[in-house]
Amino acid sequence: MGAIVLAQEGGGVARRRLMGVALALAIAATLGGFLFAYAPNFFSVRNCLNVLIQGSSLGVMAIGLTFVMIVGGIDLSIPATMAFAAVLGAFVMPVWGIMAGVATMLVSGLAVGAFNGLAVAWFEMTPFVVTLASMTVIGGATVWMTNSQSLSDFPDGFFDLFLSAPAGVPVAVLILAVIAAIATLILSSTAYGRSLYAVGLNAKAARLARAPVEWLLFSTYAISGLLAGVAAVMLTARLGSASANLGSDGVVLDIVTACVVGGVSIYGGAGMATGAVLGALFVTLISNSLNQLGVSYFMTLVVKGIAIILFIWIDRISGRASR
Amino acid sequence: MIGAALEMTGVSKTFAGVSALEDAHLSIQAGEAHALMGANGAGKSTLMNILGGIVAAEGGEIRIAGRVASIASPRDARANGIAFVHQELALLASMSVAENVLIEDLPRRGGLIDPAAMAARTQPLLDRLGCGFGPQDPVEKLGMGDRQMVEIARALASNPSILIFDEPTSSLSAREKARLFDVIRKLKAEGAAIIYVTHFIDEIFEICERVTVMRNGRIVGSGATPDFTPGDIVKLMLGDIHQADRLRVTPAAPGERVLTVDSLSAGGFLDGVSFTLRVGEIVGLWGLLGSGRTEIMRAIIGLDPIDAGAIALRRNGALVPVSPHEAHQSIGFVTEDRRGEGLLLPLSVARNVSFGNMAAVAGRFGLIDRNRERTLATGLVERLKIKLNSVDQPVRTLSGGNQQKVVFSRWLASSPPIFLLDEPTRGLDVGAKSEILALTVQLATAGAAVLIASSELEELMRVCDRYLIVQRGRIIGDLGPDADRDALLAAVSETSASSPTLSSVA
Amino acid sequence: MTAIAQGTLGHWFTRNGFLLIVIALFLFFSIVTQHFASVANVLAMAHTMAPLVIIASGLALVVFTGKLDISVGSIAFLSSAIAVLLMHDAGVNAPLAFLAALVTGALLGALNGFVVVFLGINPLIATLGSMIALRGVALQLTNAILIALPESVRGLGNATIGGVFVDVIIAAVILIVVHVLHRRTVFGRRLDAIGNGEDNAIRIGIPVPQTVFLSFVASGFLASVGGLIGLLQVGAISSYLGKGMEFTAVAAIVVGGVSLFGGRGTILPGVLLGAFAFTMIANGLNQMSADPYAYKLVTGGLIFIAMYVDALRTRRLRRIPIRPPAQAAS
Repeated sequence: MGAIVLAQEGGGVARRRLMGVALALAIAATLGGFLFAYAPNFFSVRNCLNVLIQGSSLGVMAIGLTFVMIVGGIDLSIPATMAFAAVLGAFVMPVWGIMAGVATMLVSGLAVGAFNGLAVAWFEMTPFVVTLASMTVIGGATVWMTNSQSLSDFPDGFFDLFLSAPAGVPVAVLILAVIAAIATLILSSTAYGRSLYAVGLNAKAARLARAPVEWLLFSTYAISGLLAGVAAVMLTARLGSASANLGSDGVVLDIVTACVVGGVSIYGGAGMATGAVLGALFVTLISNSLNQLGVSYFMTLVVKGIAIILFIWIDRISGRASR
Repeated sequence: MIGAALEMTGVSKTFAGVSALEDAHLSIQAGEAHALMGANGAGKSTLMNILGGIVAAEGGEIRIAGRVASIASPRDARANGIAFVHQELALLASMSVAENVLIEDLPRRGGLIDPAAMAARTQPLLDRLGCGFGPQDPVEKLGMGDRQMVEIARALASNPSILIFDEPTSSLSAREKARLFDVIRKLKAEGAAIIYVTHFIDEIFEICERVTVMRNGRIVGSGATPDFTPGDIVKLMLGDIHQADRLRVTPAAPGERVLTVDSLSAGGFLDGVSFTLRVGEIVGLWGLLGSGRTEIMRAIIGLDPIDAGAIALRRNGALVPVSPHEAHQSIGFVTEDRRGEGLLLPLSVARNVSFGNMAAVAGRFGLIDRNRERTLATGLVERLKIKLNSVDQPVRTLSGGNQQKVVFSRWLASSPPIFLLDEPTRGLDVGAKSEILALTVQLATAGAAVLIASSELEELMRVCDRYLIVQRGRIIGDLGPDADRDALLAAVSETSASSPTLSSVA
Repeated sequence: MTAIAQGTLGHWFTRNGFLLIVIALFLFFSIVTQHFASVANVLAMAHTMAPLVIIASGLALVVFTGKLDISVGSIAFLSSAIAVLLMHDAGVNAPLAFLAALVTGALLGALNGFVVVFLGINPLIATLGSMIALRGVALQLTNAILIALPESVRGLGNATIGGVFVDVIIAAVILIVVHVLHRRTVFGRRLDAIGNGEDNAIRIGIPVPQTVFLSFVASGFLASVGGLIGLLQVGAISSYLGKGMEFTAVAAIVVGGVSLFGGRGTILPGVLLGAFAFTMIANGLNQMSADPYAYKLVTGGLIFIAMYVDALRTRRLRRIPIRPPAQAAS
């Protein structure tokens, strides 16, 4: 994980990566030890595949957050948007077909993202509170629309499509891979991607160099909304149902943790999609392994809360050095 | 003869082996306002930081009212009766005047702040300064002049014997400035010793009894203000300006007009600025610090808002009105703050060069081609003779001069028809300065119109075809290539009382 | 959009608009429902509002410095859980258990303060982390089931004195104390000073790290107080205690005029009005038998407007009033 990230950025951030990687490996090793002793099932092919599939929707959302974090923002509304998109799609699909349902999920995610982007870029509101507010409103809307029920009226074709595994690779993982590849390409090799990093590093300098700062900010929130929509598709296919519960508090933390562990800086200007994906896998691994070890859901929350503070701390002490 | 309120003798200070202050002596009497002048880097800030207890003096002695004083911290400075009114006001905008004035020492009664005592201690200070507002008013409602009064009141709250004003008039209107001067006169009459640090020569003749000029860390002149002319002061500040080698041959026939600016005004910073740039010419924007050169450039490309005025750019053979944002697309702007605004420090040289020149490095499918990026960067590095190990090294590891060249190279890659260069040689050594100036000439020879702002007359004289004299946000003169050193110095030291407002209409 | 707010009407509105909205809402609900404006209902609202307003006042102290603490709901929950468990499982008597809860709240606040001030971690993320971790701890300890308070204290939550709920009186006292703390102590003035600009505050000589740390301790302590009051009202600990409270508290203080940028706003009447606005909306909509979602929608919209106004106002006030242009002849 560290090697890929290192190769794509200047050497100055090497120290931070190394520390982050070291910490992640340390945690993984510790867990691995416990797992080997107490829950050898963890290492079965089935479980590993499971982790991959579970992690792919998280990974997609983490990629969305990566875009936002690179320009120095944050988006807390991603899980809520995902649940919202899932529910809207669940209404549409039985009536107008699979494609319409999927399209609805994508478009509604995009719409929420666009709204956030508008507020942050042009109304100059603080990203944290804007996305907090939209998270609350969207979450409430989802509960209202479903009357706190869960929707599961999906046509079989939907599952056939999204749960299949061409050549043995589950579709969910394929989707993740494709999105990760596109995101990596955009971020590392397009003018747009470069501009995002520039805005995150130094918005003044970016503006001076004629970058359209407002549009760039706006676009990142739109993208994270869109990817939340994609995650909605993946998750509803896997779970077979859509409800407001999809977007609970814990998921927000997971996404942020995934990005921070994956080397995306909370201060902006650094991070790669591949890092976010690896971070998402790491988080899923933690959840899965703690689960296998019989640790309660609640304790898992505690572990994650502590982990995020640790990784942010590393981000900070090395982030300051490289600026 | 009354003893001096403040006497500094033989005070020196070095930072990392570089001498910032050498053998400084200063003598301030009670009841006088003493001007302290000098260009950037002359040593004024170091001197004041010593008085303020932020840095320690090395060698020499400081006497306050005859007694030797040791100033090891800001508290010591305060205890010794020294108070500052800083250029950057440290005011708490949402809080009341009284809270701001007394924040360092809030009066208490029984554990809680005593509002009656706050008003009682603040009102006399406000009265003394002739303020129209009261202790309860929120600072954010006050204009700049009033805010400054609050800052002065805060300084006065500690009963200082020595008051230091640092660039107090940079953001004041003429009326607010007049009021400030009234206050200073009153403070003088009450026996305070005032040190008045400024760039504006006309002011010291109005308000200061004596003046001390610094240059390169040394005191180069001191005496009663009437004994100097403005020109004397400028010469002392800038030192000997030799006519250095001219790097430029001014073309005989002026080219087509490529940019016109008409009556540009912006909220107190710019006032009716008008001028024209022509193809292939180098125009110098000459003025002392704080005259508004940077503001003019930033307004043209829309980084700061303008209130009035028009900009026109040449497109397809005719001058077309454009918005500042549109103008920005055709103008290369080299900022005076290369580290803060010009470069993306953690990124590599190659990436800094390509940012803004994406079209030049586009490969298949419009994606950035790393090889092209490297080639572009390498080519420019060679052309500009930038010293580095590799185009992949982070730009923050380069020296100042080389960093500046990287900024240039970014614009060179896209060849805009107009360049605005703001203090392009600031902080560079002699060799690097010459190289940048030579580069500027190359730009003009290649057909670009260049506007170069600088406070160093020497370098302007090496490359300019024409000079626009700037003072207080206004263009007060326009001199041609034959202008000699004395004429240029005289033009910039004209005080506002004597200079008619000239606009350049070419 | 800015143009609207720059007119004098807009100017007045940004300063006092929310008072107007609160009055308008009150009138609206009074007209549309039968019992809204009755004394009994108002008292009932005050009762419901007590935990929120106490927690919000603690949060406001942190927000005055320009920072945020979104773990207050979890702190309320965890400290209350500890009180209940001590009484239920360890047979500790009520006053001691409550004391333990308060101490826990202060300690948890100190933990937040430590992470933000001494580890230097962004307060948004730090308190996001503690919000989730602490809730996790509390859920773990209570196994997420309902645990009733012992008989002896169960009725306290609804005790009244002369027709007024005791907890309303407690909340009122706390509000006054915190208000005075904010406006009339050196500590409180320093909070605002830091919110105006940390760099300036340091230049002036204010001990910023210590002050910010203390603000987090205060926020944690007050969160535990609010949590206990909420616990007493319900009579049992449940996993819903404090859930989402942090967002409501943030919303209440923003609507009440406290700026998220720091340095601006009041406890009285600001936070009180903000908390009342939300309680009013919940109560009123309930009496209208309106859709539960309507509450989320209205409050979400309200938060948004409040934040927008906050952003506008701060931007406008940060620009120093335009002075007359430089004159040709001085």
